[in-house]
Amino acid sequence: MNLLLPALGFGVVTASILALAGVGFSLQFGVTNILNLAYGSIMTSAAFAALLVSQRGVNLWIAVAAGGAFGAVFSVALNRVVYTPFIRRGTKLFGMIIVTISVALVIQYGIQAIWGASFFSLEGLHASAIQLGPFVFTTTQLGILGIGVGAMIAVHALLRYTTLGKSMRATATNAVLARNCGIATDRVIDIAWAISGGLCGLAGVALVINVTAFTDTTGSDLLVPIIAVAVLGGIGQAYGAMLGALIIGITSEIAAALISPDYKDVVAFVILILVLLVRPKGIFSEIASGKEVAA
Amino acid sequence: MSSPQAAEAEGLIVVRGLEQNFGGVRAVAGVSFSIEKGRITGLIGPNGAGKSTTLDMIAGATRPSAGTISFQGRDITRLAAYQRARLGIVRTFQSSSEFARLTVMENLLVAAPRLRGERLVGALLGRWYWREEEQLAVERARELLRRFEMTAKEDEYAGDLSGGQKRLLEIMRGLMAEPEVLLLDEPMAGVNPSLARRIETYLLELHHSGLTAIMVEHELGTVERLCDPVIVMAEGRVLRQGTMPELRRSREVLDAYLIG
Amino acid sequence: MSSAWQFYISSVLIYLGVDIMACWGLNLQFGYAGLVNFSFIVFQAAGAYTAAVLTLGRPGPASIQQYLGGAHWPFPLPVLAAGAVGALLAAGVGAIGLRRLRSDYEAMVMLVVSLIATSIATNQTNLVNGANGLDLVPKPLAGVLHVSALSYQWFYVAMTAVVCVLVFLLVTLITGSPLGRSLRAMRENERAAAALGRNVTGLRMLAFVVGGGIAGISGAILVMFISAWSPGSWLYPETFVFFTALIVGGSGNNMGAVVGAVLVPVAFLEATRFLPQFGPPGFIDAVQWIAIGLLALVFLWFWPRGVVPERRRRFPRARSQPAATGGGRLEQNSP
Repeated sequence: MNLLLPALGFGVVTASILALAGVGFSLQFGVTNILNLAYGSIMTSAAFAALLVSQRGVNLWIAVAAGGAFGAVFSVALNRVVYTPFIRRGTKLFGMIIVTISVALVIQYGIQAIWGASFFSLEGLHASAIQLGPFVFTTTQLGILGIGVGAMIAVHALLRYTTLGKSMRATATNAVLARNCGIATDRVIDIAWAISGGLCGLAGVALVINVTAFTDTTGSDLLVPIIAVAVLGGIGQAYGAMLGALIIGITSEIAAALISPDYKDVVAFVILILVLLVRPKGIFSEIASGKEVAA
Repeated sequence: MSSPQAAEAEGLIVVRGLEQNFGGVRAVAGVSFSIEKGRITGLIGPNGAGKSTTLDMIAGATRPSAGTISFQGRDITRLAAYQRARLGIVRTFQSSSEFARLTVMENLLVAAPRLRGERLVGALLGRWYWREEEQLAVERARELLRRFEMTAKEDEYAGDLSGGQKRLLEIMRGLMAEPEVLLLDEPMAGVNPSLARRIETYLLELHHSGLTAIMVEHELGTVERLCDPVIVMAEGRVLRQGTMPELRRSREVLDAYLIG
Repeated sequence: MSSAWQFYISSVLIYLGVDIMACWGLNLQFGYAGLVNFSFIVFQAAGAYTAAVLTLGRPGPASIQQYLGGAHWPFPLPVLAAGAVGALLAAGVGAIGLRRLRSDYEAMVMLVVSLIATSIATNQTNLVNGANGLDLVPKPLAGVLHVSALSYQWFYVAMTAVVCVLVFLLVTLITGSPLGRSLRAMRENERAAAALGRNVTGLRMLAFVVGGGIAGISGAILVMFISAWSPGSWLYPETFVFFTALIVGGSGNNMGAVVGAVLVPVAFLEATRFLPQFGPPGFIDAVQWIAIGLLALVFLWFWPRGVVPERRRRFPRARSQPAATGGGRLEQNSP
């Protein structure tokens, strides 16, 4: 029990990061229909963007915002400059997968070429501890929780109450039908890249302020849990991904506390495999399962 | 057009109480009918009537939520699409589904059933083991190409064919599979009128040489000339079944079309 | 030729043989069957570990390296076992990863498999000695041959060539047959292939398992030559080198795979070896990876079918000369 409570606390923090990253990834894949394997490296590059900004001596929260903005702009640009031209040129689905992983390598090793394979840290908060009920959080952790919860509320409001959000949900469910219903899917897709890229950037920064040091591979290292979160929730299902992030964040931290920290990823992996065996389309994808056949 | 030996007994394909739900939407809501050997059965109805979904379920592309499908008296509801194809239930697709980077000839050869070189052991035994049989399949494919006036296209990539030629390839490929029953999903969709007439003539010829088929089609003139009987579907149910002239007189059918 | 050069050239030839085999295996999966196997390197790794463990013998409690099992199998057996393990592992991974998922899901799952395999091999230190990996793998038949180190190099080149020929036979028998045609048909349109009676799940498994077996064999040949193998040798980007090789060389063509293996993993990576070292440590490495990624993008954009594109298959006519290709036009006028 002594181990379990702090693990639960860590789990909630991890879940916030995973929710940011997982919801972004899931929406991106679901709405744009491109499996962007460069997602992890974009997270890292957003972290480095935030690092650059914070080195100018600005407030950490401005650096966080800069990371999110960088992720959004970078993702939109990447889609416009690389992905869309390849699709227009007739590159098929499995060609596109190669394109995105090529981009992933170029970005990841680009970062390594510029900054070198060493350790960095993004600091700026006094690490004072705050007691919240049975949990003890640092201010940084509370900040991450805040970013996570805030972003999720924003995503919820967007999807639920705006026409844009409805268009995005419609496009995620059935792009062809959405286009036939008069939704300007191109614009929706641009905005989807911006929003998912923004979440990706925020996740990248949140990820690195949660650890004492990060490297050029920190973002890519989170790819397994991110994919697990998205698949568990059902691709394109933002709420599914949020729930998925909670489940995977908490179970992996508990497993890390009870078994070994090396096995965080393995927990995510086992969950992923189980989901693929039982419900390949994810557990919250009732609607999405109909789409495949109807399309 | 009906032949005297058309027995009223068990049909070649019998469909009972077929249902299909997509995430709460009932695309097909309890469909039953029977297909007889040697006939082209038309499946018509307004958009969203569930025709293509019914065809998909018979072909095994989607599994029905409820109901059974039997073929030659055997329950095939749980068989995979490829197993049904091997039994002789072969389908064509509405959208072009050619193997784009295979030649026309290769497209046809893929459909040839039970080739020795198709199995791993057969392939590993080498060319001498399967060559002769393959040559027979090549000849059969050439026969089809002649019949459909596509001989000149033999070595072209299927992806480079025109839309109409792809439709022809689709039908030829279905025939190459030696079907007991051919499921035609709008074989003339998006084809110019003269080619549509050609396809119609081919199908009529095939019908006279004994082809059994189920055909989903929108153009009622074509249905009238090719199909007997015709099944009318609307809102996921069978509305009526009969010959086209009979159906034209039916108030119900007219309503369904006008409202649909 | 000086013996230093001979050493260098024979080593490059051995790497080339290993890379060609691997490219053939991946080509069967990706070029023919259309499977995006981002965990390909895992099967090569499994073969390498198998061969190493089966030649190193049982580890004692005081051994410098700890691993599961261990034996002193005579020469060709560890290679065969490596192939079998690669194939078996592929059957297991395929049973989960190839469950009728869209190819992007499949790629995602395979990538995850690759990342997890590295994590397990690194953290589970008693499995294959963790992050340090296995070392001191004995050279096959070195004790029997009693030849100079240089002669042994050339012997190893010859042995690699023999294995290459065998793998080539296996691959071309499959790809040149009606079975190979079905694989390509499935790559083009899975639904249509199933509707024509092709067992798509079976075909996918077949390409995956045979490709996995070939990867395993290539791993065995590699590890017995370099004598060491650790998780650092098979990180997931390594798979991408083979993909780039296929894209550059021409996927769906076994000769294209050879050209790709010559151009990308061998020529390209060897060439950078002679570049003067500059920049911080790891800089050259990083630039190399960037270049590989760009190379794939450039080829996908300008020459998506590669240097040696997939061959168009023509079927000889029974009566005319087998080589006649313009026969189609003559036929048109016949009744």
